Amino acid sequence: MIERIKVTFLGYNKEIYIEKGKSIMSAALSCGIHLNSVCAGEGICGKCKIKLRRGEVDIQNSDAISTQDLKYGFSLACLTYPRTNVVVEIPKSSRIEPVLRQEIYSKAKTIKQVDFKSQKCDFSYLPVVKKIYLELPKPSLIDNINDLDRVLRELSKYVDINNIKISLNNSRNLSNVLRKSDWKITLTIGEYNETYEILNIEQADTSSSNFGFAFDIGTTTISGELIDLKTQKVLGAKLTYNKQASFGADVITRIVHAKNAQGLERLHKAVIEGINEIIENLISEFNIDINDVTCLTCAGNTTMIHLLMRIDPSFIRREPYIPAITFLSAIKAHEIGIQISTHGLLYIIAGISSYLGGDITSGILASGIYKEQNPCLLIDIGTNGEIILGNKEFLIGCAASAGPAFEGSGVTSGMKATRGAIEKVKIDKNLNITLQTIDNVKPIGICGSGYINLIAEMLKAKILDKNGKISIVKNKRVKKTKVGLEFKIEKNIVITEADIDNIKRSKAAIYAAIITLLEHMQLNFDSIDKIFIAGGFGNYIDIEQAITIGLLPDIDRNKFIFIGNSSLNGAKQAILSNTAFKKTREIAKQATYFELSTDSKYMNEYTAALFFPHTDKKRFQTINI
Amino acid sequence: MIFETIIGSIKVGGESVLPFLIQEGKVPNKPVIAFEVWDMPPYDFPQSLSEPFGNALNNPLDWALKCVNDYGAKLLCIKLQSINPDTLDKNSKEAVKFINNLIKAVDVPLIIQGSGNKEKDNLVLPEIASIAKGKKYLIGSATQDNYKILAKTCIDNNHSIIAESPIDINIAKQLNILLSDAGVEPSRIVINPTVGSLGYGLEYAYSIMERARLAALAGDTMLAQSFICFAGQEAWRAKEAKAKMSEMPAWGDEKKRGLLWEIITAISFLQSGADILVMRHPKAIKAVENYLNDLLP
Repeated sequence: MIERIKVTFLGYNKEIYIEKGKSIMSAALSCGIHLNSVCAGEGICGKCKIKLRRGEVDIQNSDAISTQDLKYGFSLACLTYPRTNVVVEIPKSSRIEPVLRQEIYSKAKTIKQVDFKSQKCDFSYLPVVKKIYLELPKPSLIDNINDLDRVLRELSKYVDINNIKISLNNSRNLSNVLRKSDWKITLTIGEYNETYEILNIEQADTSSSNFGFAFDIGTTTISGELIDLKTQKVLGAKLTYNKQASFGADVITRIVHAKNAQGLERLHKAVIEGINEIIENLISEFNIDINDVTCLTCAGNTTMIHLLMRIDPSFIRREPYIPAITFLSAIKAHEIGIQISTHGLLYIIAGISSYLGGDITSGILASGIYKEQNPCLLIDIGTNGEIILGNKEFLIGCAASAGPAFEGSGVTSGMKATRGAIEKVKIDKNLNITLQTIDNVKPIGICGSGYINLIAEMLKAKILDKNGKISIVKNKRVKKTKVGLEFKIEKNIVITEADIDNIKRSKAAIYAAIITLLEHMQLNFDSIDKIFIAGGFGNYIDIEQAITIGLLPDIDRNKFIFIGNSSLNGAKQAILSNTAFKKTREIAKQATYFELSTDSKYMNEYTAALFFPHTDKKRFQTINI
Repeated sequence: MIFETIIGSIKVGGESVLPFLIQEGKVPNKPVIAFEVWDMPPYDFPQSLSEPFGNALNNPLDWALKCVNDYGAKLLCIKLQSINPDTLDKNSKEAVKFINNLIKAVDVPLIIQGSGNKEKDNLVLPEIASIAKGKKYLIGSATQDNYKILAKTCIDNNHSIIAESPIDINIAKQLNILLSDAGVEPSRIVINPTVGSLGYGLEYAYSIMERARLAALAGDTMLAQSFICFAGQEAWRAKEAKAKMSEMPAWGDEKKRGLLWEIITAISFLQSGADILVMRHPKAIKAVENYLNDLLP
């Protein structure tokens, strides 16, 4: 018989029996505890530290944990195998925070937001799922058509009934509901692919209780908004971490993980869990009946959509990088476990290619780049940097793998842009450092925009050379380690030369992609009218500092326009207007994908950009470092 | 225009045109050839290469003297192979002693090249630079990750510096910017673009040098430095140069073959802009000198 071992997680009130030979990491996953893991349990990233409180374990060697940590009873969950029943503690740093944050847009207020109201002229209000209240004339011996035709006859005043369907279940209930309600009913009608379906029949007038959710499924975070489809108002917005982070920080690691036994299922469940968490939170906060949530729209990168739909994403990773789908027509949200009304529909925003997903289509819609007169750029900075170049006549885009450094992953003191993250840094001539953190609390780490600020300031203070190496040695903040120098910012917060290298590669990938795309279209920055900066991260970037490190081009600062989470914005527009939703499909079909990896110029541009701000100083004339 | 760099009594660079286009602009200095000499007996020289030096190879000082006295070397490139922990791991005292003796024995300027071991070079090169203070030697190599110590010691002791980049025009330029930021005059930098020999990436190195030179002549001062190419070391690494006729009968006489390999490699880099060639075989050096004299009378 296989020996079973009990693992207890302190503070979670959770215990589980596992087979001998399984790791603490897999025990944690089995009982729904998600640990940080950039490398998907390969023992490389060192993010899944746990502390053993009781019991005996076998620990596999790894460079990712220090001997000092081991001495104090810490080990990596993915490399720790219980020998006896154990009690373990999960330090805060190893948790994927389950706490939802009332994010949106507390920070972004100062930043220009694309507001649906201001774009109302483009897309008329026509929610993808609507509720229609009907008062039917009672049947008589003269007016004796059947119940369904009676409903359709009335409905034809509102919609085209030639294309309408009703499910078997709804037709079974129809006669009873009609009579119980005294012929006053509300129909929930979902529209997709030019057809309509009667999703639900309710008694009396419930047409003012129609709610939906717009979602942005990011590799790192999931954001959702609860929208009153009748009043067109956003009631509330929440953000949570994508729990798939337990299976790797980037899409490639996750695609690889999907190939493991249960891998796809786990990834699928993790994303659904995140979505449900936001839905549950918001509907209870606003006291909304789950049965009145009739639809949701989801924008996400192509891999995220595959995983959401539980479709094998493996071919996205292999040349020639072909996804299974870039679009699916609406499905019943319940089919994949999303907890809204049982008849509620899920709409996916169409993607363009493997590496330009629905989040970008959604961003194109929200930014309005597709209707601009002159060429504009849309830059979405996330784990992947996506760049769209175009106007009302053409749209071409590419994706540069920037890596997760700007999202606070893969860097020593990196963290997501949440409470306690350093987001602004000032360094004066005497190397005194002033910090500003999100929510002005004690600093616990550095977020992406903080890194941009920090590196720009270090360059200006000549702490770094233009290659990103620390050039002062005799300073109490500088420490030599096995792998190079590190610079101390605060107690337990450092930036290492390897971190700077990481950020340098990320910024170079994005800048080189912008230049390569422009050159491919034989354009230059002079011909660019506007640069839309999107992405949750984009809200916080300091333009001047971003130019100082060479992430963004040195051009007229007025050309930069922040549009916040344009993926979510687009999803919101789509849920409120079927016309907008259709437009996203059109955009996705129209846009061209440009593959950087086969372009010989890209590599050259990339190495040229691996310098602060750039090897070619002429391109950054206003920057003096 | 390319910066003119002084190595002892020799001037290199200064041209305003692509190689050998004397009708179109100035070529004030002929490219020069440095004889490669090690500070220890060589361990990978094939017989056809050792032959012209005979027993002198066993004593670095004799080797250097033979180059100068017998073969007319006007410039020597000393490679401090012996300080590398992977070879003899000699300390800086011994290296300093050798260079001191060499300076006394020969009257030609020196190029001094470290062992390639970062830590050891950072220990030894500053000491060597300081005993040769004011001699205006050329000392290498600075790399993108390790240039600060060498830059400082070259400034302090009035030497020029070799900036080595891995066949990458961007890194070559980046390193020049870093050295300039560290206070090195642009005219005191010589670019080692890291080349490959015939059959081993020569074309790629050629095109990188050509691109850099075109950019320099179009006004990019951070690429407008002379090139140094280690043609001998690369050519004699090739199997085609080393293999004996007994092993490869179809390839012909190795004595001729090795020579040709080094000559072709060297001449190709002259054509792509090399200002200094570091070579090994005296006969190959003679042949390339003749070639230079033909083209640049």
